[in-house]
Amino acid sequence: MSRLILLVIVVGLISGCEKKVKPLPIFGQREVVNGDTVYHHIAKYQFVDQDSAIITNDTFKDQIYVADFFFTSCRTICPIMKTQMLRVYESTAELPDVKLLSHTIDPEYDTVALLHDFARKLGVSSDRWHFVTGAKDSIYKIAQTSYFATAMEDKSEPDGFIHSGAFLLIDKQQRLRGKYDGTKEEDVNRLLVDIKRLRKEYE
Amino acid sequence: MSIVYWLTSSGLEKNMNRFLLLLFLLAIASCSPGNSSGDSVKYQQYFVQGEQLYNTHCSNCHQKSGKGLGLLYPPLDESDYMTNNLSSVICLIKYGKSGELIVNGKQYNQVMPGVPILTDLEIAEIATYIYNSWTHDEGLIEVAEVTKVLQQCEGED
Ligand code: HEC
Repeated sequence: MSRLILLVIVVGLISGCEKKVKPLPIFGQREVVNGDTVYHHIAKYQFVDQDSAIITNDTFKDQIYVADFFFTSCRTICPIMKTQMLRVYESTAELPDVKLLSHTIDPEYDTVALLHDFARKLGVSSDRWHFVTGAKDSIYKIAQTSYFATAMEDKSEPDGFIHSGAFLLIDKQQRLRGKYDGTKEEDVNRLLVDIKRLRKEYE
Repeated sequence: MSIVYWLTSSGLEKNMNRFLLLLFLLAIASCSPGNSSGDSVKYQQYFVQGEQLYNTHCSNCHQKSGKGLGLLYPPLDESDYMTNNLSSVICLIKYGKSGELIVNGKQYNQVMPGVPILTDLEIAEIATYIYNSWTHDEGLIEVAEVTKVLQQCEGED
């Protein structure tokens, strides 16, 4: 009898171990160049943040970051997105290699000064959460082609823009590893779990 | 009489249980509408409708919890501004608000867009909801009152 129990326990342990955590997917197209797989990654960019600091790909060197697209005067989904992004900000406070990057899709209105004021009112620090503005075309292009997020102007929309409420998870090699609905608490919970999973890859 | 007997008759623990049961029954009794008059039915209807309208038009910014967001969107769950300015609140629901505004000693200065399509009844429902949720307990806010206040909103803001 006790042997049977032992057997059950052993089998249980083995099968438990086999259920390895699956790595996060890598989004986008991949090519094989000289035998190496080259993955889709975030294209080169240069924006300016709320402290007038220049933000480029290098800003996030050896960093994991979460990106989104919003604008300060948006009254529909953005306040919810910012509430959820603040949760991400707060729950990653102890993680030195996790940063946040919010792009305005209304750069004409959202000047550096306005973004500065917005970040201050949200009560967040610019060394962990960058709010960036830049050339409108570059922002729309990088949203669509690098982050696979929707962002464009549309005067017929209530806010004047079409944009997705997506949060994008980017790894240390600038690859897109996850896409979440930033207006849904449960989906953002999933993001919080995935950030931990992604960090494990670098341990 | 029998309650007194109950409470004194047996061991301490048993008494405690009975006491809790008694409290529980009292709580239930006080929760159900004290009078079945039209007012409390009306209050219930306003509150329920108001909650739905709040979730459609307001919770984006102020959140379902009424907590707001940093210094961007002021809180409603606890707000001295709400307590002291019922008329202004009725007006800002319909016409919006911009400029400086102080809530619980903190300064806010963002634009709140109004919702001009709301009817007086809907505004009374939303007001009833926010004025009886979280820490507030102001009772029913009547349509007649809302209508009267709305006639005097012009020039405010
Ligand atoms: C787009 C975001 C947004 C929406 C939607 C919104 N508000 Fe506001 N609300 C604000 C802002 C911003 C202020 C502060 C305005 C200022 O600074 O002058 C405010 C102020 C208030 C205040 C007074 C300040 C306080 O906290 O007591 C109340 C009450 C209020 N809103 C209720 C509502 C209600 C009810 C609705 C739905 C009908 C609503 N709001 C919809 C952004 C919003």
